[in-house]
Amino acid sequence: MSGDRGAGKGAAPCHVVKEEVIAEGRWLKMEKTTYVDGGGTTRIWETAKRTTRKRDSCADGVGIIAILKRTLHIDCVVLVKQFRPPMGRHTLEFPAGLLDENESMEAAALRELKEETGYIGEVVGTSPVSCLDPGLSNCTTHVVMVNINGDDPENLNPTQQLGEAEFVEVVLLPLNEFQKKVDELLQKEDIIVDCKVYMYAMGMTQAVAKPSELPVLKQ
Amino acid sequence: MEFEESGIGEECGVFGCVASGEWPTQLEVAQVLTLGLVALQHRGQESAGIVTSNGASPPTYITLKGMGLVSNAFPAEELLKLRSGNLGIGHTRYSTTGISELQNCQPFVVDTLHGKIAVAHNGELVNAAALRKKVMRHGVGLSTSSDSELITQLLALTPPMEEQDAPDWVARIKNLMTETPTSYSLLVMHTDVIYAVRDPYGNRPLCIGRLVPISKLHGSDTEGWVVSSESCSFQSIGARYYREVQPGEIVQISKHGIKTLSIVPRPEGDRPAFCIFEYVYFARPDSIFEGQMVYSVRQRCGQQLAIEAPVDADVVSTVPESATPAALGYAQQAGIPYVEVLCKNRYVGRTFIQPNTRLRQLGVAKKFGALTDNFAGKRVVLVDDSIVRGNTISPIIKLLREAGATEVHIRVASPPIRHPCYMGINIPTKEELIANKPEFANIAGYIGATSVRYLSVEGLVSAVQGGILPQEKDQRTEANKRLGHCTACLTGKYPVELAW
Repeated sequence: MSGDRGAGKGAAPCHVVKEEVIAEGRWLKMEKTTYVDGGGTTRIWETAKRTTRKRDSCADGVGIIAILKRTLHIDCVVLVKQFRPPMGRHTLEFPAGLLDENESMEAAALRELKEETGYIGEVVGTSPVSCLDPGLSNCTTHVVMVNINGDDPENLNPTQQLGEAEFVEVVLLPLNEFQKKVDELLQKEDIIVDCKVYMYAMGMTQAVAKPSELPVLKQ
Repeated sequence: MEFEESGIGEECGVFGCVASGEWPTQLEVAQVLTLGLVALQHRGQESAGIVTSNGASPPTYITLKGMGLVSNAFPAEELLKLRSGNLGIGHTRYSTTGISELQNCQPFVVDTLHGKIAVAHNGELVNAAALRKKVMRHGVGLSTSSDSELITQLLALTPPMEEQDAPDWVARIKNLMTETPTSYSLLVMHTDVIYAVRDPYGNRPLCIGRLVPISKLHGSDTEGWVVSSESCSFQSIGARYYREVQPGEIVQISKHGIKTLSIVPRPEGDRPAFCIFEYVYFARPDSIFEGQMVYSVRQRCGQQLAIEAPVDADVVSTVPESATPAALGYAQQAGIPYVEVLCKNRYVGRTFIQPNTRLRQLGVAKKFGALTDNFAGKRVVLVDDSIVRGNTISPIIKLLREAGATEVHIRVASPPIRHPCYMGINIPTKEELIANKPEFANIAGYIGATSVRYLSVEGLVSAVQGGILPQEKDQRTEANKRLGHCTACLTGKYPVELAW
């Protein structure tokens, strides 16, 4: 709980003193967090938390970067488009979901992917626990990298298994010009892109295009 | 084997692909083209080229050409540049006369009044000389000596009656087809479609395949359409054989599918003239022509040969590999066991025709070894698919005799070639052909064999047509009228009158 390995600006280590629930709903709660900052001063922070985090989990949920691979086709990133009430708009995100009781991040990732997109994949990599919006909440996630064998007959005509209130549209964008394709989609439709998706896109552009540029000092 | 050794070859292979569904496509068109050309590598190893189009108006064409085998001609980084292609055509080229320069490599791309076209051509125009003069009289300059450039320029010419803003490509192609009767299998790419064209005599092959998801070859989702000189290119890219392009047919291939635009007829009474040597030697054994597998035809040639030219012998064999189906057919028909007598060193290229006997023999010794135990002390029937000049088989016969064969009977699964070909096969001059030399009267003595027999022309034709004609005799005469194969190099009867 205490952050005594925080970057040392002042002599006193940062830590949380007290957490009081201010309001609680079915899925979220708001807390008043009393903490000691790097200068030794006690302060208050308003914190949002999910009520759904499982006892044994370090993370709330998983986010999935799934690549659909098919012979003689360009690899595609699997994205989902859905209406998000807090934004009041449709968003473009990676498939994601909350961890079930006693569920590993790998199992959760494959389950969520199958439910939201219909694709059956295999895990090829995971991230450590990572925070999503640490100034606002304590929500954490694992990013799970998944490859989907698009040649497998089971993935030729994927069928979603959505819940009653879920309306998710699958969007496939080619990986080779990912950032450009995301930009084109944003131009065409009134949607907001999830930050993680765009950062991934910028990283891909950087990795593919930029290395061939020689660093030159501007005169 | 002599075709392989001396480099008498097919002129070229052509391949095209159009992605179905939404564009920009996720299908890797450039990869499909590359794999298609690799499967057609036997039709040309000198150079390869592909052109892709993004299908937009106006379109962006990107070309990639290279010398040598497809695997060397298209480096991976270069292929990535063609990733925006939604359709494309490709070509593998055989050695032709003249300098092998990249600019002579197909496909050719030319700007016309109504946009760019790209052309890939297999075949040789019988009236090329006259057509060149005609085109140049129109004020068009030609930068190469190739027929294919000529075709491209002819397509760029505005036909009479064409309206200002509405290019009528069917009319232009038809115009070309009336200007030259044979031989050409063509792929013409314009913006967002490919026109697949086969000359009215169907001299060179061309067929269409449907791309489906690679693991579901019997599925119904069409991912794209491909067109190729031979169907052997389809399996490796997950395409299902659809049908042949008919002689004289103009097929439009687009993202929406296949459409026959026109079929240009032959002059009244003329039969089709599909090159019979595609069956004998040039095509890959797994390719399908006229509904039958090339391998089966070669096998039937061997069976027919055993019927026409039997001999008392102990084993049947062949020179690896092109005549193996014929040899197996011969062995099966004759009831004599098939054994392998020669071991081939696949790392040795063509053994050049050397000026003197000793060097020639050394050349063969470099390429083949005798599997002595299989035939020592035995009488051997050696089946080959061709003897053209006669100087590549004789060192082999010597090799076999020295290894212990008591008799070497040569059986050739094709008739003797006596006449030149003007439709694209670079057969040696008339004087060089062994069948035209006085030595032919005693060819066995000339090459050192115990006996030499060729398949008859009638035998070859019956072996070819056996897989096409219906079984019932009364249906045959009708079907027979629609059949026709070019046997000009064997009989001297050319499908069209040659213009000089």
